[in-house]
Amino acid sequence: MKELMTILRKEFIHILRDKVSLFLVLAIPIMLTLLFGFTISTELRNAKISVLDLSKDSQSIKLIEKITSSGYFQVISLPESEAAIDFDFKNKNVKIAIIIPTQFEASLTKEKNADIQIINDVSDLNVASILNNYMQAVLYDFIADFNENSSSDAPVEIATKMQYNPEMNSVYMFVPGIITLIMIIVTALMSSITLSREVETGSMRMLLITPVKKIYVVFGKVIPYMILSFISTIIILVISVLVFKMPIKGSLFLLLFLCIVFMFTAASFGLMISALVKTQLEAMMVTMMGLFLPTVLLSGFLFPLDNMPYFFQLLADIFPAKWFIIAIKDVMIKGSGFAELWLYMLILLGMAIVLVTISLTRIDKRR
Amino acid sequence: MQAIEIKQLNKSYRAIKAIENISFSVAEGELFGLVGPDGAGKSTIFNILATLLKPDAGEVSVLGLDLIKDYLKIRRKIGYLPGIFSLYPDLTVEENLRFFAVMYKSSIKENMKLIRPLWDQLSAFKKRPAGKLSGGMKQKLALCCALIHKPELLFLDEPTTGVDPVSRKEFWDILNSIQTQNITVLVSTPYMDEASRCNRIALIQNGGIIKIETPQQIVLDFEGELFSMETSEIFHLLAIMEKCRLNCNYYPYGNHLHIAFYGNKAELLTEFIQFLDEQHIIYKNLEAINPSIEDCFIELINKKAHA
Repeated sequence: MKELMTILRKEFIHILRDKVSLFLVLAIPIMLTLLFGFTISTELRNAKISVLDLSKDSQSIKLIEKITSSGYFQVISLPESEAAIDFDFKNKNVKIAIIIPTQFEASLTKEKNADIQIINDVSDLNVASILNNYMQAVLYDFIADFNENSSSDAPVEIATKMQYNPEMNSVYMFVPGIITLIMIIVTALMSSITLSREVETGSMRMLLITPVKKIYVVFGKVIPYMILSFISTIIILVISVLVFKMPIKGSLFLLLFLCIVFMFTAASFGLMISALVKTQLEAMMVTMMGLFLPTVLLSGFLFPLDNMPYFFQLLADIFPAKWFIIAIKDVMIKGSGFAELWLYMLILLGMAIVLVTISLTRIDKRR
Repeated sequence: MQAIEIKQLNKSYRAIKAIENISFSVAEGELFGLVGPDGAGKSTIFNILATLLKPDAGEVSVLGLDLIKDYLKIRRKIGYLPGIFSLYPDLTVEENLRFFAVMYKSSIKENMKLIRPLWDQLSAFKKRPAGKLSGGMKQKLALCCALIHKPELLFLDEPTTGVDPVSRKEFWDILNSIQTQNITVLVSTPYMDEASRCNRIALIQNGGIIKIETPQQIVLDFEGELFSMETSEIFHLLAIMEKCRLNCNYYPYGNHLHIAFYGNKAELLTEFIQFLDEQHIIYKNLEAINPSIEDCFIELINKKAHA
């Protein structure tokens, strides 16, 4: 045990004396969280809209009020013709336009039917589809109000409930993703680099011929980065809860325990990589290409896994990030307990145990 | 019992034969030197003996233990100073030493007597990061770390490479004092002048041993008659030497030319002087000298090449 403590102490000295790396390791999580939180938001507010109102009756005015008060749209132009709408799209940075038909009120009350045309600027597909959804929602809302007031039968009635994320907050998506990325960077990348540095500089050979147990060497080097990674995770969680109002519905203890399990898995991947390569540069490249990239692409964090070809869905299964993101979302958003999550933890632990075992046999292999 | 016994040792890296059919043994308490140029296979031998590399073929016993089966036992009894500086450059001198003391389940206090001559010089720098030490100090620290568990056998792979001449001499003085503590030392060096500090040396070239002898005997075994001369036209002379059809072997040695004659010394010398005059070479200090280990090494390589 004294050996383990000594290796830990030595590793902390390495970390504390390398101020730049230490700063980066602690600053990156904060920067990433704030960056994603403020910029990579899928919500749009105050999109510019132009409304061509051909009827100008009480209902059409109500509809325009509804659109304005939704908060999603800002009516900046009330053109008089369809050609003018085109002008707005080109010159006034308008993202969406609607045309309210003539005799809007009459059609609504008598025929219980009115055709409203929505024109989207689809040069930006993402913005267009989000705004289109918002507009549909506003229109349904308007119709619902209209039906209530006129106490007549509803022409259309759709009720969608946004389960678990009623406000469709993007923060719910990115916080688990950021935590995953940070843990991969800090734990897997740093531990693969620190171990391959020992191999590269030759100090690993010095350690190997001492009687110290190899498992102490490996854990002594990896645990400090797990601690750093844990600190980063807590920083991300605090920012997410305080700044972005991310809920933690499940138990905090379970959440942290889950993070520790995942850190262990990430570290074991780092360990495995360091056992395969000879230099720090190789370790970095392999971790970035072989672990970081699949984590970004195949974890369901940015791109939904369900849409991927079957092969990639299978590939996603062998990386730990997918399982962790499912589990962490369940804890934070759905409030799931250990009973629902034990399987994911078991998968993560299983991966870790297999990789650590293989790496330990490889690390002291006399070639 | 021999401290090290090697029989027919072979090791290849893919197609390249690093060492081929090497056999030698080192007696207990001996200071044994592996002498040879870079790439001769010295480090490979060390890596195998330090249990870090598996040989392809051959029988090796270290301190009476089998290299393959008992490698963990061997590790406890040996100290190893690798060819490249392998301590932690960002840790201080003291932190490095303490770290390795714990790794070897030993303590600085316990072995102070053994490392005293080294520690006396190092302690002035004990708060300095190891990476900021001079080459000589680095090696003294590395030796200190290799001795911290009082090994029975010490492997030193080129400990004086990159070390200034004064520190090199100090280092060898320390090695001689370590030897008096009943520690067998196997040391390698590319510097032939250091070889005379060993009890016995093995001259190695291209993965094979050319000769194993005491340094004194190696010099006595020199077959030719060695002369040294100085000339400012050394490259010109080397270029035209093939015209000189004498039974001799010549090579630049620092800023001198060494030439070893085989046969009648007086006759060959006269003919050589005649050749120099014919070629209008201006020279001075042409004189008979005693061969160094390097001269012997060159003679042996030459003999092997012509055999």
